[in-house]
Amino acid sequence: MKQKLKQLENPYIPKPYKILDFHRETFDTFTLTVNMKTSHEPGQFVQVSVPGFGEAPISICSDSKDFIELNIREVGNVTRALAKLRKGDKLLVRGPYGKGYPMQHIKGNNIIMIGGGCGVAPLKGAIGYIENHRADFNDVLLYLGYRSPDDIIFKREMERWKKEYHIKVTVDKNAHGKFCYDAKEGFITDALKASSFTNENKVVFICGPPIMMKGAIDILKQKGFHDDQIFISAERLMYCALGICCHCMIRGKFTCIDGPVFRYDEVKDFKND
Amino acid sequence: MRVLKQKKKRLFEFLGKLKQSYELIAPVSKDVVRFEKIDDTGDIYLEKNSYFPLKEYFFRKEEVLFKFNGNKIIVPAPEAPARVFFGIRKCDLNAISHQDMVFMNQVNDPYYSSMRKNSFLLGYHCNTAPSPFCFCGSLELVDYSDLMFYDRGDYLLVEIGSEKGKFLAGKFREFFVETNAAITQKEKIIPRADRLDKKDISHLYDHPDWKKGVDICLSCSACTALCPTCYCFEIHDNVGTKNPKEGERKRSWSSCQVQEFTKVAGEHVFRKEREERFKHRIYHQLDYFKQKNGINLCVGCGRCIEACPTRIDFVEIINEMK
Ligand SMILES: Cc1cc2nc3c(=O)[nH]c(=O)nc-3n(C[C@H](O)[C@H](O)[C@H](O)COP(=O)(O)OP(=O)(O)OC[C@H]3O[C@@H](n4cnc5c(N)ncnc54)[C@H](O)[C@@H]3O)c2cc1C
Ligand code: SF4
Repeated sequence: MKQKLKQLENPYIPKPYKILDFHRETFDTFTLTVNMKTSHEPGQFVQVSVPGFGEAPISICSDSKDFIELNIREVGNVTRALAKLRKGDKLLVRGPYGKGYPMQHIKGNNIIMIGGGCGVAPLKGAIGYIENHRADFNDVLLYLGYRSPDDIIFKREMERWKKEYHIKVTVDKNAHGKFCYDAKEGFITDALKASSFTNENKVVFICGPPIMMKGAIDILKQKGFHDDQIFISAERLMYCALGICCHCMIRGKFTCIDGPVFRYDEVKDFKND
Repeated sequence: MRVLKQKKKRLFEFLGKLKQSYELIAPVSKDVVRFEKIDDTGDIYLEKNSYFPLKEYFFRKEEVLFKFNGNKIIVPAPEAPARVFFGIRKCDLNAISHQDMVFMNQVNDPYYSSMRKNSFLLGYHCNTAPSPFCFCGSLELVDYSDLMFYDRGDYLLVEIGSEKGKFLAGKFREFFVETNAAITQKEKIIPRADRLDKKDISHLYDHPDWKKGVDICLSCSACTALCPTCYCFEIHDNVGTKNPKEGERKRSWSSCQVQEFTKVAGEHVFRKEREERFKHRIYHQLDYFKQKNGINLCVGCGRCIEACPTRIDFVEIINEMK
């Protein structure tokens, strides 16, 4: 009965939720904590909207049943409108949607996460999951790359991650020689190349700009990783998140329902699509 | 399936009678042949198929998903007009079937479903392909109507295809007579409508011949607008000029043939080249949809070829591919 009722719900209608916290991360990114109680997998996303501005898909970057955290970069209409909201304001949300990281199936492995810029946000959800299920996983290696020291997000969490995990941070340019979490100047792919790990008992999550993802995959392949050890996140223009508007389609697959997290062997032949 | 018989002249009396209880929509010949609300059944034109498909009656060009005032959402009451559509060709009936799969099975889209709920689909069988662009016979089309009319000269055979059809035939029983006649599968085959070679194109993605179609494409997207099955859409908010908090969230048709379809931050376009966009359309129609739903999305109506200002014929392109 319950299932039937759910089916009849209008899938386009979001619900209002309260913002519990607004935290500015960098000059163009911020993190919202939203009073939405929902179970979800790390890597899944929600459709967030401000009426009059539209909707945008945003990854859930927390791991809690009591609230969701959203890390947002201001790039356009919706994301700039979201940046104007503050604690106590409401926004509209529908979801969660999509297929996230297969945490249940990779227990017992060492996890390598490679993130570039805003791509670190969904990875933070997976880190949160590991923190809540620490005994299920072995070592965690984080490779996080940013454009400059000023672009580093999640500085609050970074202190904790540094104690728990192996973490390497790079910045493309450190013009003023700023101190930032032992970040080295260079690309994150350089840090990857220099590291000595092998593919044994490892699973890799990659999320970031397409060029970075491609570079990282090439290096992993050289290190002997198989395609099915690698999970990537796809980003596409998206409207419905229900698998019917077709904007996010890559060949026959829908980023919104078959992804956004794909095992690399499922999508490696897709070039530009 | 049960079959009834109807005298030719009784058909128009039947439609006239229907018109008293329902909004009747059928093809008329104006600037082009198009489906329109019928006032005079004498206007109904059955020589050719409609230039425009029926889709805008169900999956409308624009649909208000909801109105808002600040964070308060007002969902419009669903419209469910009682309509009878007459004169729908087999291709277009199958196109409705495919859109039903998307909007009624895959998700429960209340806007589409309510437009479909009280509509009756009365099909009209093509005894021969009415246009040189038709290729429905190359695709695996099914019976998908409430009542299907087969023209046999001075009478029609009417096949009852659903409970809704049974209801209509019962309500207007005075216009039909019982018959022992049956319609065989062979009789349902439409002659001269199988010009697309049956071919698995899944391994032809990198074939150089796709370029042949593309050089002359204008990216005008007439093909997707006139396609009875294309269902891609976008969603945007509009606000009022008086109160910026008040407005509506609207869904509208979109086309995979333009760059904006895949444009994301940093002006990055995933399918930047015309060839990629052209192939995407053909592959969605003849490969991707089948992977998910077990049947090709394309129904072979040929409108995308007829409407193309440069007459790009993907049927020829595929047929010539080795
Ligand atoms: C599954 C998924 C998860 C995402 N997670 C996050 C996240 O955690 N944090 C975050 O900041 N962003 C995330 N994004 C990207 C975010 O959705 C877009 O930045 C946002 O939709 C832009 O909307 P806008 O109205 O602000 O910009 P617009 O005014 O619509 O456009 C500004 C620019 O952003 C582009 N854009 C529009 N939609 C997208 C999109 N879906 N992806 C990329 N660019 C887009 C436009 O083409 C344009 O170039 C995610 C996208 C997807 C598909
Ligand atoms: S495609 Fe087939 S069903 Fe459609 S109009 Fe042509 S012959 Fe008739």
